[in-house]
Formats: sequence, structure tokens, C-alpha cells
Amino acid sequence: MNQNRDFYAGLVATVFFAVILFVLIPIYVKVPSFIPGFAPPPDMWPRVVAVIGLVMGVLALVLAFPKMREASRDRVEGFGNRILGNKTHLMRFAGILIVFVAFVYGMPLIGFVPATVLLLGVLFIMTGNFERKFWMIGLAVIFPVLLYLLFTEVTHTPFPKGKLLSANISHLTTLI
Amino acid sequence: MWNELLYAFQEVATLPNFLAMFAGIWGGVIIGAIPGMTGTMAVTLALPFTFYLSPVTSILLLVALYKGSTYGGSISAILIKTPGTASAACTVLDGYPLARAGKGGKALNMALISSCIGDFISNISLFFLAIPLATFALRVGPPEFFMLMAFSLTIVASISGRSLVLGIISACLGLLLATVGEDMYGSFRFALSEDMKSGLGMVPVLIGLFALPELIKMIVFRPEDNAAAMKLGDNRLTLAEFRGSIKSICRGSIIGVILGAIPGIGPSTAAFFSYSEARRTSKNGDKFGEGELEGIAASESANNGACGATMIPLLALGVPGDVITGVMLGAFMIHGLTPGPLLFQNNLGDVYALFIGILFSSVFLFVAGKATAGAFTKISRIPQTLLLPCILILCVYGIYSIGASPFDVTVLLVMGVVGFVMMLLNIPAAPFLIAFILGPMFEDNMRRSLAISRGDLGVFFQSWISWGFFALTILFVTLTIRREWKKWRSNRNADTASAS
Repeated sequence: MNQNRDFYAGLVATVFFAVILFVLIPIYVKVPSFIPGFAPPPDMWPRVVAVIGLVMGVLALVLAFPKMREASRDRVEGFGNRILGNKTHLMRFAGILIVFVAFVYGMPLIGFVPATVLLLGVLFIMTGNFERKFWMIGLAVIFPVLLYLLFTEVTHTPFPKGKLLSANISHLTTLI
Repeated sequence: MWNELLYAFQEVATLPNFLAMFAGIWGGVIIGAIPGMTGTMAVTLALPFTFYLSPVTSILLLVALYKGSTYGGSISAILIKTPGTASAACTVLDGYPLARAGKGGKALNMALISSCIGDFISNISLFFLAIPLATFALRVGPPEFFMLMAFSLTIVASISGRSLVLGIISACLGLLLATVGEDMYGSFRFALSEDMKSGLGMVPVLIGLFALPELIKMIVFRPEDNAAAMKLGDNRLTLAEFRGSIKSICRGSIIGVILGAIPGIGPSTAAFFSYSEARRTSKNGDKFGEGELEGIAASESANNGACGATMIPLLALGVPGDVITGVMLGAFMIHGLTPGPLLFQNNLGDVYALFIGILFSSVFLFVAGKATAGAFTKISRIPQTLLLPCILILCVYGIYSIGASPFDVTVLLVMGVVGFVMMLLNIPAAPFLIAFILGPMFEDNMRRSLAISRGDLGVFFQSWISWGFFALTILFVTLTIRREWKKWRSNRNADTASAS
């Protein structure tokens, strides 16, 4: 198991640091034409780190590969197979990603409090445990509202009201 | 001197001062325990109230808030794996495994006692060593700072767990992520969007990496003990357990005092430094990260030890070491006091009153911490299916309140997913964190030193402080390589033996 995980970790790290080194640094780290005094350019440190990361990624691959080959000879199930083979786990993970993306994009539209109420409710449902239904419903509504009151009163944080809601109210006001 | 001390004692021993300290400590503990709310926020929020108080009462209130919030960070770090403040990040490593094992109360007690001892030693040093320590701190320039950071980064080897290679990969991820945003010369790096130009906030990254993966893991894998509350075992700290950690507490407090006195370092670095030293020297070093009380003692004594010490350069030289002491400098100025050598000449009575008050605050910290920890321990009884989603919402509100920025919330959620993927791949999160905290200081001081010396590497070896840290770095790297080589050879021999 561990040798498979190390192999995949090495693979992910190698690809990630290679992308950083050969794609992102040339595009997203601009070297200014003039640097005051003798100071190393801004891309020096990210390059050094990316090279070390790349070398370590390759090293993790090299160290894990013989053990992994040995293990596959003994028919040990691979970590990747375990993850990809279990569609339920993958679906749940994809579900979380969708919920997070929906929260980030939906929050400016419907407002901070309704978005957090929905997020908490959906997360409770996703835990798959419905033994304490009333607690779940109550907490999903009351907890975000209490936090909203606490933070607006104590820190005076301006939470987004939501474009849709504000638009509707202003539209109604105009109509009246 | 004795007359002034007596006068100072009379000045401190008043009801408003005690009330201010008690309120400050209590408020700080609660604010520090809420993820996303920091000591800086607590001190800044309290600043307007100090306009109506006397100078000594005002400063005591602010110091008490700072100390309380530093300890409070450990409560959420231990019970819900969410460090309330950056300086409590190290406490998560051993605190949460202890809480999972039903020893949350024991962990909280150890955190409280080591915090109070660290705080007390720091206060005593403030009393006697303010001037010499401040003079030493002034000798630490960018090259010495760079060497200190280089040595601190060798901690990665201690907290990498099973695989050093994966630990270094994790640290590289942290170092790289710390470069996002504007650098010291105004160049933008990895600014993939407009929001990224100002870099990634430490708190969202920190909380996302530690707190969220647990929630995602629970939803994806749905373990059977989800609905069960954490076990509640024996919460008392035994004398033997305390004795076993006393060395780490004392060493952590001294590390905290020395590093806290150097402007710009702060309690987080002190905590990691002390944790690493405790792990290297403890006979239970191998158990660190799995729920070792000594680990909590090391990090908590250091971060609270650094709190009082950050006042040293402020009082003795008028140099604020971090944002919080910067705010305190403002409070001094508001009341017509100018920190620095003249403060000791013109307002010696006030200085002594402040020192005595700060000493008292250690006792208040113990009382408030003991009372609050008892109440917070009840969190352990909430089932994970209810607790973890609520923690996410608490984090979302706390982090949004820092800068009213939806981008910070996005960073929190993205880091949660990154942390979960790292967990799946067995990549340890602790090296990522330490690299993310120390990385910017390491890089800035390296570039600053080279800019000063016009590229001459000799700048890093001009003082005995640099040489000292350089020697320690080389020594530790050599020992690590030797240990890894031995481990690799013994594994290979074991494989060969089992194959034959």
C-alpha cells in the first residue's frame, strides 16, 4: 500500500513541479528590466524550490518503483485502483467539489447568510447520518445566523447581502 | 529603586487594573479559540476602549488580550484540529491525536501549564533582561536572520514522519505557495488572478490545510465511528507526565524569550523551533506527532514565552517586533509615553508598574484558562457528523471577517481539498505549514543580505551568530543524512533477508 502511495505522490509531485518550472514561472513570474543594487531576480527562489521539488518527486518515484513492482508481483491491490475502483468515494469527492464551487460562486448572488445555511445543510446531508435530524435542521439555520450576528456586532464585518436579493428589493422599491 | 517598586506595586494593585487584566485574558482566550480570529484582531478591537483608561491599565489590557489569544489558539488546535492562531499550528500535531484518544482534557491542561510557565519566564526576563536582550536583538541583521531561518527549516526533517522525501516535497509546496503575490521589489509572482496579487493569507491556508481534510475524509469515506462522540478519558495531568515534560517547557520558554525578543520572528517560529528541539532531544522523540504531551509542552511554552518577550524591543528600544506590538506602540503614544531608553529614565514608575502587572497576568491566565478549558472540553462530546460541518461554517465566518474578502474563503476551501489529496497520498502537512510560515522570511532576508553585500556570499559569515546557526544547520543536515542512510540500508537488508 505505502509503496503505491509513495509512487503516486512522487508522480503527482514530479508533474506539479515540472509544470511550475517550465510553464508557470516563465509566464507568471516576470523579471523586471531593472533591479536596484545587486538583488537576486524574483524568479530565482521559485526556480530553486521547483527544482528541489522536481528532484524529490523523481526520487520518490525511483525509490517506490522497485518495491511497487515487487508488490504487484504478489498481487497487492494498488492505491490508484482502490480509489478509482470505488466509484462511490469518487462521486462523494466530486460532490464536495461541486458544493464548494457552488458556494463560492453562489454566495455573492444569494448573500452570505443564505449561502452558509445551504452549505451547512448540504454538508449535514452528505455526512449520511440522519440520526439527529432535528439537530441538523436547527443547527443549519440557527448557527450561521448566530455567527452572522456575532461577527456583525463585534467586528462590524460587512457580509455580502447578495446581488439577487438586493436587485429584487431595489426593483420592488422602484415599482412602488 | 525599592521605593519606585513599592510605588509601582501600589499603582498596579487597583481594581480597574485587575479587571482590565481579567477581561483581557478571558476575552483573549475566547477570541483565540475561535478559528480565524487572531490576537491582532483582539488587540486592534480593544484599542479604542483604551482611550478612556489610564496608560498602565490600557497596556495591561492589550498585553492580557495578546497572551490570552495565544493560549486560546491551542484550545481549538487540540479539540477540533483547527489552530485558532498561527502560533498554535504546532500544537495540532500532538494535541489532536491526544483528543482523539480521549485525552483532550489532559492535553489542554498540559497546554495551559506550559503556557503559564512560558509566560512567567518571559515576564521575569522582561523584568531583568530587557536591555541586554534588546541589544542582542539589534545585532541580528538580515544575514543572521537568514541563517536562523535556514536552521529553522531543518525542522522539516523532524516532522516529515515516515518519509523524508515526501516531507521535503511538502515543504517545497509550502515554500512555493508562500511566493504567491508581490515580492520585496514589487514584482508579482504567480498572480493568476487580481486577488492573488496580494498573496495568500496565512490563516486561510493554515486552517484549510488542517481542519477541512477531516471533514472531507468523513464525507468521502464515512467511517463507522462518525456519529460517535470522542471518548472522554482521565483529564488529570499526573506529576510524572509533568516531570517528563519539564525540560521541554523550560527550554521552550527560553527559546520563546530569545526569539520573541528579535523583531519580526514572532511566536509561530518559536513554537516550531522549540518543538523540533524537543523532538530531537526527547527519549520519546519517535512518538512526536502521534499524541505526545511533551510536544504540546514544547510548542505552547515557546509561543507564550515569545509573547512577553516581544515587549522587550518595544519597551527598551521603541522597536515594535510585530503587528500586535505595533498597535501597542500606538497605545503608548496615545497616552503620551514614548517607548525606548527615555521611557526608563522619565517614566520608570510606569515601567515597573507595567512589569508587575504583566507578572500578575500569568496567574490570571492560569485561572481563566482552567475555567475556559473545562467548558471547551465539552466540545469533544459533540458527534463528528454535527461538529465538523459546523467547524467549516465557523471557519468561513472567521476568515471572511479578517479582510472581508471572498477570496480568502476560496483559499480556505481550495486548501482543504489540497490537504485532503495530500492526506490520501501520505504527504505530511506539517512541513508544508512550517515552510509556508518561514519561507517568506528566509527568502526576503537572503535577497536583502545579497543586495546589501552586492552579491558577496561572505555576508552570511561575518558574525558569530551566523557562524553558530550555520554550524548547527550543517550538523543537523549531516545527522539527518546519516540517519536516513542507515534506515535505507537496514530496510534493504531486511528485504534481502526476506527474499532469500
